[in-house]
Amino acid sequence: MKDKILIVDDAELNRDILTEILEEEYTIIQAADGRTALSIMEKQVEELAAVLLDLMMPEVDGFQVLQVMQEKKWIEKLPVLIISGETAIKAEKKCFEYGVSDFIKKPFDNFLVKRRVSNVVNLFQYQNELEKKVEKQTETLRKQYRLLQMQAEKLHKSNENIVDILGTVVEYRNLESGEHIQRVKGFTEILAKELMKEYPEYGLTEQQIHTIVTASSLHDVGKIAIPDHILMKPGRLTKEEFEYMKSHTTRGSEIIAHIKDVWEEDYQKAGYEICRHHHERYDGKGYPDGLAGEDIPISAQIVSVADVYDALVSERVYKSAYSKDEAFHMIVTGECGVFSPKLLECFRNVRKEFEELADRQK
Amino acid sequence: MTIKEGYDLLGRNYEEVLYRLRNEERIAKYAIKFLDDTSFATLKDALSTGDIETAFRAAHTLKGVCQNLSFTKLYESSNAITEELRTLENKDVSEYLSRVEEDYNRVISAIRQMKEESGPLA
Repeated sequence: MKDKILIVDDAELNRDILTEILEEEYTIIQAADGRTALSIMEKQVEELAAVLLDLMMPEVDGFQVLQVMQEKKWIEKLPVLIISGETAIKAEKKCFEYGVSDFIKKPFDNFLVKRRVSNVVNLFQYQNELEKKVEKQTETLRKQYRLLQMQAEKLHKSNENIVDILGTVVEYRNLESGEHIQRVKGFTEILAKELMKEYPEYGLTEQQIHTIVTASSLHDVGKIAIPDHILMKPGRLTKEEFEYMKSHTTRGSEIIAHIKDVWEEDYQKAGYEICRHHHERYDGKGYPDGLAGEDIPISAQIVSVADVYDALVSERVYKSAYSKDEAFHMIVTGECGVFSPKLLECFRNVRKEFEELADRQK
Repeated sequence: MTIKEGYDLLGRNYEEVLYRLRNEERIAKYAIKFLDDTSFATLKDALSTGDIETAFRAAHTLKGVCQNLSFTKLYESSNAITEELRTLENKDVSEYLSRVEEDYNRVISAIRQMKEESGPLA
């Protein structure tokens, strides 16, 4: 199919001469004035390959046509060649400012008209095609990005699923009540957020906190490897029994380390740290590794306070519940082991929130 | 009279127009079409009613058409009046107009003569 060219000139003779020169290669549409030209463009701007435009016309003149073409951004995709006999340099400059592609001077020359028109038409078709290609590629990229995002979300979900499955295993064996796990998560979140606010030097982010909170439900997963007669023993544990009991930290971290390739590294890392180190103490007197100070991963430090607090305010097979006041004082005075001074300051700050959570879930 | 003789009568440039438009038949057709071109009549009417803007545009169109058809003399006189009218001031251009009219009439009568003699060509 031939490309379409719109010729706009009020002199019929000029239109006819141009038409005869160009009709062999193009389908020609004529307009005798600017208004008609604009209404033709309005309807078929997409189909036109070029506009040959006279400047001097009654009513809507060539400059007004250019003005509209610029406002509607048609001139970016549809080339305009000026066919006016206007020779003033000022007018020519003005045309270029509107984005005109070329000029066809009078008198019309068969060869030059054909050549100038085909040059401009080819250039614009090439450009428009390139633009379409880029657009298509951008769309493909966008699609792939969306796909990646969806997969990231899926992976994220699967991390949480793994954690939930493990948590359910612990619950199922009735080692810890489901409420304990939920409350530790809650305390962990409150404390972590306070720590992020008060001590930015830990570099905690919302995303990290989310990971730590999720992984906190795994802190006692190692207890599935502890025999019932030790785990459920109502009375005091013997020294041997207690040593065995302590191994739930290392056993837990081994379980986490064995679950490979199915979850993101930061979930696994947080899970490992929390399982292994949530019984470490700031003065190095905790277990299993006797880590001290900031050698204890911050995730495990936070969860250890949350875990101890919940253990104190809850009833257990081997003890009755302490009051919230008692629990608070036992922790800040170091009766349950030494915690980081920074963490304790945060703990003091959020005392009310801890107590509200303890009340709500009882 | 052939189209070439017509051009010669009007004062040269047939070779030039043939070179540009490539086709004798075409040139004859355009020349005959010029008989229907209203820009001269518009120019004259507009000047008689003092509508300078319309007169300027008509002169401009006439000039452009003549340029395309290589009606050299008429091009020159219509170009002169176009430049006189460009400022859109109301001034006496009657001398310019009579020159245009004279050239216009010569072109028209030459085309008519050619048309009658060549008949089916048109």
